[in-house]
Amino acid sequence: MAEFPPDDERIDELTTLQSIYPELVLDFDHPPIPTARIELPVAPEKPLPVVCDSDSSVRNLSHLPPLIIDIILSEGYPTERAPTFNLTADPPWLPDRVLEQLMEKGHALWEEYGGMQMLFAYLSFLEESARTAFGAADSARDGVLKLPDTLRTPMLELNEKLGKELFDKGTYDCGICLEPKKGGACHRIRHCGHVFCKACLQDYYNNCIKEGDVNNVKCLSPDCGKTGDVKVDRKKKDRLLSPKELLQIPLELETVKRYAQIKRKKKIESDPTIVFCPRKWCQGAMRTEKYPKITDVSQMDESDIEDGEPVAAPKATDQEIKFRGAPNTDRLVICEDCSLAFCKVCLAPWHGDFERCINREQKDLTEEDQASLNYILKNTSPCPTCSVPCSKSYGCNHMTCFQCKTHFCYLCGAWLQPENPYGHFNNKKNKACFQRLMDGAMGDQANGEIRFGGRRGAEQEAEFWEQEALRIQMEELGG
Amino acid sequence: MSTGAKKRILREYAECQNDPLPGVKINFDEQNMTKWEILMDGPDQSVYAGGHYKLEINFPNEYPFKPPVVSFKTKIYHPNVSNDDKGSMCLGLLRPEEWKPPNKVISVLHLIRNLLIEPNPDDAIELSIANDYKTNRAEFDKTAKDWVKRYAK
Repeated sequence: MAEFPPDDERIDELTTLQSIYPELVLDFDHPPIPTARIELPVAPEKPLPVVCDSDSSVRNLSHLPPLIIDIILSEGYPTERAPTFNLTADPPWLPDRVLEQLMEKGHALWEEYGGMQMLFAYLSFLEESARTAFGAADSARDGVLKLPDTLRTPMLELNEKLGKELFDKGTYDCGICLEPKKGGACHRIRHCGHVFCKACLQDYYNNCIKEGDVNNVKCLSPDCGKTGDVKVDRKKKDRLLSPKELLQIPLELETVKRYAQIKRKKKIESDPTIVFCPRKWCQGAMRTEKYPKITDVSQMDESDIEDGEPVAAPKATDQEIKFRGAPNTDRLVICEDCSLAFCKVCLAPWHGDFERCINREQKDLTEEDQASLNYILKNTSPCPTCSVPCSKSYGCNHMTCFQCKTHFCYLCGAWLQPENPYGHFNNKKNKACFQRLMDGAMGDQANGEIRFGGRRGAEQEAEFWEQEALRIQMEELGG
Repeated sequence: MSTGAKKRILREYAECQNDPLPGVKINFDEQNMTKWEILMDGPDQSVYAGGHYKLEINFPNEYPFKPPVVSFKTKIYHPNVSNDDKGSMCLGLLRPEEWKPPNKVISVLHLIRNLLIEPNPDDAIELSIANDYKTNRAEFDKTAKDWVKRYAK
């Protein structure tokens, strides 16, 4: 078997090259031609926009399949003969045109070097062009690289896999527990890129969902959604995490289901056009296309806007107003849970189109409902804007409604100016609230002797007199 | 309180020790680490110069998901500190709806110090003091300094 002479310049050059690129694989087993192969990772600085034939959405890929470079050095290299470079990509995402250009550049470089060793220069050039994805998308239409459908899945998977490997290798300081954590123990929030450790996110989100505070299931970073201006900031809503992303952190399926259900329920309950099933054991919402039932949370990928305000309470059209009590309109609705067909107006099981019926409020309360209502009256203060019952667990009496973000006084229900919420407690004119900002700071149930004004005060007073009347009656009976 | 929260408080204490704020001393009790006693000197460039203030920072059980609670134990004439026996503060990142878990005690201490140097009368808890500050600065400075002598020496 023939061997390379000890002073073969090609062998020298390739061995030297290998010490610079350890991943270079040499093949000296087939004299007289030495070959070498290297896989060059392609991770452009600016993600490469690609689009597939059947799917018109553009995706930005940060990690692409490597460029495979085969180097073949014939006898006479470098002085007399040019080296041969074979460039391929697997899967073949690079257009032939681009590959040809890159190979031509190899030849041009050899000429430029005038018969000197040029492999390192060529590899450096390729590495450099890899940072712009070889300009593959530059000449394409709209600067987006078009790919055949067959490449879609492998390329997306690879992009995700390499991205995750890189992320897992890194170390991140979790802003919550303040500990450095390996990427594998962390989660990057999809829409803003902030990184926290999984344990902290689980802690926080689990608790939010347990307490029904779903509007806080969003990125925890202080600079997220910040614009500098506090007022704008309040209006600009951060994005809530999608159920799908929560499952990736991961949160338990049951918790994520609850999250999706609470969000849906909140939307339904703030929509005045929705009525509920009259069967006491059911009370499901009427079937509607507006709020589809949740089937598979793992497919719920939308990270919707925080639903603070009731979804722009759809205006009741003249027609709708008219039909309250009028026949011949769409009174028939169906319960989404028990499939009962009932009348939207009188809330009785469906009576047919020709029955005249009157509007009935859902006021016949069960015992439990009455108990809940009593509790709500006793332990909450209604928001002056949206009337949602707010209860204070702790803190000062300047409240911000958890549903519509109205600033109000917990004691008397007065609106407070967001820019100066404390003036109310410092004004002697407000007799009931003057200097009572911190009354009951340990929460509502901590002590029962807080005096309230406004709606709640009236309820308190009514309750007091009711008990007083009972006491007097008892006394009279006793006497 | 979870062990995670305790660890975080310890870590934050260490951070405050490694990079101490001028004029701020923290009395930390390992047995009761959810209550920090802070001794803060009135900053030189402020009307509170020469005063020594005792503050308390209480960490709720849900820390760091809920903000720490700050109160001045030493009486101070300041628009952002309530003029009662609680001496409470409730502004900026100390508000529950504004607090974010990555915020730290050190930023709370910075906030307090900066407020001593420059009160924020537009977010005042004591409106009359804020009014004083805005419309009658000389009177405000006088009263504030007077209170330093009376309560904060």
